[in-house]
Amino acid sequence: MASTDVVKGMARARRSGISVMQVRIVLLVVLLAGWEIMARSGLLYRDVVPPLETIGWALIKLLSSQAFYWNLAVTVAEVLAALAIGGSIGFMTGVLLGGSRFFGRALEPYIYYLGPTPKIIFFPIMIMWFGVGPGSKIAMGAVSCFFPIALSAAAGMRQIEAVLIRVGRSFRASQWQMAMKIYLPAMRPAVMNGIRLGLGIAIIGTLLAETKLSNRGIGYLIMQAYSVFDMPRMYALLITLFAFAIGANAIVGRFGGPAKRQ
Amino acid sequence: MNQTPQSTAPMAGQLPHVLSADNVTKKFDTAEGPLVAVDNISFDVRPGEFLSVIGPSGCGKSTLFNIIGGLTPDHDGTITVDGEVVRGPHPSIGMVFQEESTFPWRTVIDNVCFPLEIANVPKAERLDKARHFINLVGLSGFENRHPSELSGGMRQRVAIARTLVSQPKILLMDEPFAALDEQTRLLLGDKVLQIQQELKQTTLLITHNITEAVQLSDRILVMTYRPGKLKRIVDIDLPRPRTSDVVSSPAFGAYVAKIWGDLREEASRGMAESERAR
Amino acid sequence: MRAMAASSARFLPAAFGLFCLLCGVAIVEGMLRAGLLNRFIVPLPTEVIDSFGRLFGDEQLLARFLTTVQETFYAMAILAVIGIPVGTLLYQVPVLRKATETWISALASAPIVLMYPLFLVIFGRSPATIIVMGVIAGLPPLILKTIEGLSGTRQSLINVGRSFRLTRVQMLTKIMLPAALPTIFVGLRLALIFALINIVGVEFLINFGGLGQLINDLAERYDMPGMYATIVFVILVSVLFFFVTERLERWLRRMS
Repeated sequence: MASTDVVKGMARARRSGISVMQVRIVLLVVLLAGWEIMARSGLLYRDVVPPLETIGWALIKLLSSQAFYWNLAVTVAEVLAALAIGGSIGFMTGVLLGGSRFFGRALEPYIYYLGPTPKIIFFPIMIMWFGVGPGSKIAMGAVSCFFPIALSAAAGMRQIEAVLIRVGRSFRASQWQMAMKIYLPAMRPAVMNGIRLGLGIAIIGTLLAETKLSNRGIGYLIMQAYSVFDMPRMYALLITLFAFAIGANAIVGRFGGPAKRQ
Repeated sequence: MNQTPQSTAPMAGQLPHVLSADNVTKKFDTAEGPLVAVDNISFDVRPGEFLSVIGPSGCGKSTLFNIIGGLTPDHDGTITVDGEVVRGPHPSIGMVFQEESTFPWRTVIDNVCFPLEIANVPKAERLDKARHFINLVGLSGFENRHPSELSGGMRQRVAIARTLVSQPKILLMDEPFAALDEQTRLLLGDKVLQIQQELKQTTLLITHNITEAVQLSDRILVMTYRPGKLKRIVDIDLPRPRTSDVVSSPAFGAYVAKIWGDLREEASRGMAESERAR
Repeated sequence: MRAMAASSARFLPAAFGLFCLLCGVAIVEGMLRAGLLNRFIVPLPTEVIDSFGRLFGDEQLLARFLTTVQETFYAMAILAVIGIPVGTLLYQVPVLRKATETWISALASAPIVLMYPLFLVIFGRSPATIIVMGVIAGLPPLILKTIEGLSGTRQSLINVGRSFRLTRVQMLTKIMLPAALPTIFVGLRLALIFALINIVGVEFLINFGGLGQLINDLAERYDMPGMYATIVFVILVSVLFFFVTERLERWLRRMS
């Protein structure tokens, strides 16, 4: 039934001339129209669901203000610093865990089971260790992205086919050559996937920390909009934030092109 | 073709042996006690010859391959190449592995350049040599493809070119065609014969396939099943240059029958033991 | 003999890992006592352990924990009621599925938790905000796994159903959903993990509800040992949830 259903559905779609693109456009229009009706009807307070036009203007105003770009730069710098610190520590940990069966069995379960826990609750500790400034936000992001990158690097290390290492040895490659020409390229897809996951949650960790306690960054702007109930501005900020996150994800995804073997 | 970079090939008759194995023994400790994988094996490889080692699965052929290639430490006896004892991967030995061993992230030409990069050969020279050997294995035009875009037989030819480019005195191959179907195997055998005759490449092939061994070899060493001892050496007196057509000749059939007679007993012993273990 | 070797190969690294953990704690304790670490930033591990009694008594840690569990339970109930039917609908209407599947997976990796100030405006500092954040976090993986499970039904099972001339609804309830159950359970488990992370996180951020709020309170009161102890408690609870549901998932897989 699964396949016949798909075939039937496709046939029906072809007969009535509905393509996936058209469905998407219809869905978007319905969504936006529903929003607009809700906004105009006044069922919910106007402030919570502002008309699309208002959000549009707020977006334009936001994107043309200098303060926005300054705060965006602060957040981007924090996220990149977090990724650099958490990522490099995570990578080295992963190489150690993946390279040694013993260390992997001894210590990897801790990282594996600590991975899916709420990291933001460490924020009070980070404030005490690294202060209320960007330091504690970077630390939050770094702690968040450490886990997926360490686990991916360990898995990538273990997935290297043994014969490729024997090829390198048979040509008498030095340790350095082995690392640069065999281990690193063989691990690249797994590590890039880890960085993609890590970047996503580094963004979340850093921004959540900013919304809790800060005086700069996108998270701070969101809380500022919240405190004066400027909902259109909040929507504009969330839209730009989502665009930023999805864009960053796509860029890393592009670098992680597969080195596949059929 | 005269000035191909093959001037390092040993002149026939200059040295009696390119490689010798003397009383090579390797024991493994397993849960059921020590296992003798290779038991006191000695043989010589003559310059320019094609020598095969044949034996049933599990007779320690691959262990022998790794010992000769210098990848397995702690064995008894010695492997000597040009009078030098092998104590690790030796520059005179080029290995081709049974498993898929091309680097999936490198193109064909970059795969073939790999050993030259390791040896710090300048880039222009690297590319020249790599192109020559890609041409030799019949892959011209595929230089910039990735292995995932090639068939299994083509990938194995890339691996052979990659090993030949380092110009080893001995080409050491471990069942390089094991993963391929019978037709591809025969055609690839032709290619290897042609290359070997062209380069006068001394070659040591490890295999469990009788037709392959008879088709390609000047001599065949037959190994026994556990412990892996040398059972017999068979000289193959088929005319050269050969092609895969040789498989239909009566002499070929006689050699196959003779070696199968030797192997049958070993193979059935192996089968019985592995069934008992189950 | 082999079994013994295998179990010691497992036991030894696990023991070493535990040893590392205990050593780490002991070193911190030693450094604090020697004055190498600042006691105002890191409390003594022994004090942290001692504070558990006080937390269960004065701070009603158990009641806090149950509040969080209750919020998670409501979120999971809503998730199951929305997520599985939506996934089934998208599976039944292929055009809709093709149109929205990439959107849903993009949503799964987007920082949706940052929408919490929005729901703070709508629902105020209330359980509703916390539960909605939990639902939003868990929805994409549950929908995606439901679709995946239904599309993975073995053709032979479908043929059995057709041979008995089942109706479309019977086919769905008697064959496809039971066959997809292990995969749907994976979706529920992912949803639970994401919901729990977000619920505790939002509790902490908006200072309301169960365990998250307690951490915030203790931090504001500068009760170092209590705060560290509560964080340890939250980590242990999360790991326990994760571990138990993982075992359950494996067991379900083996059954089918």
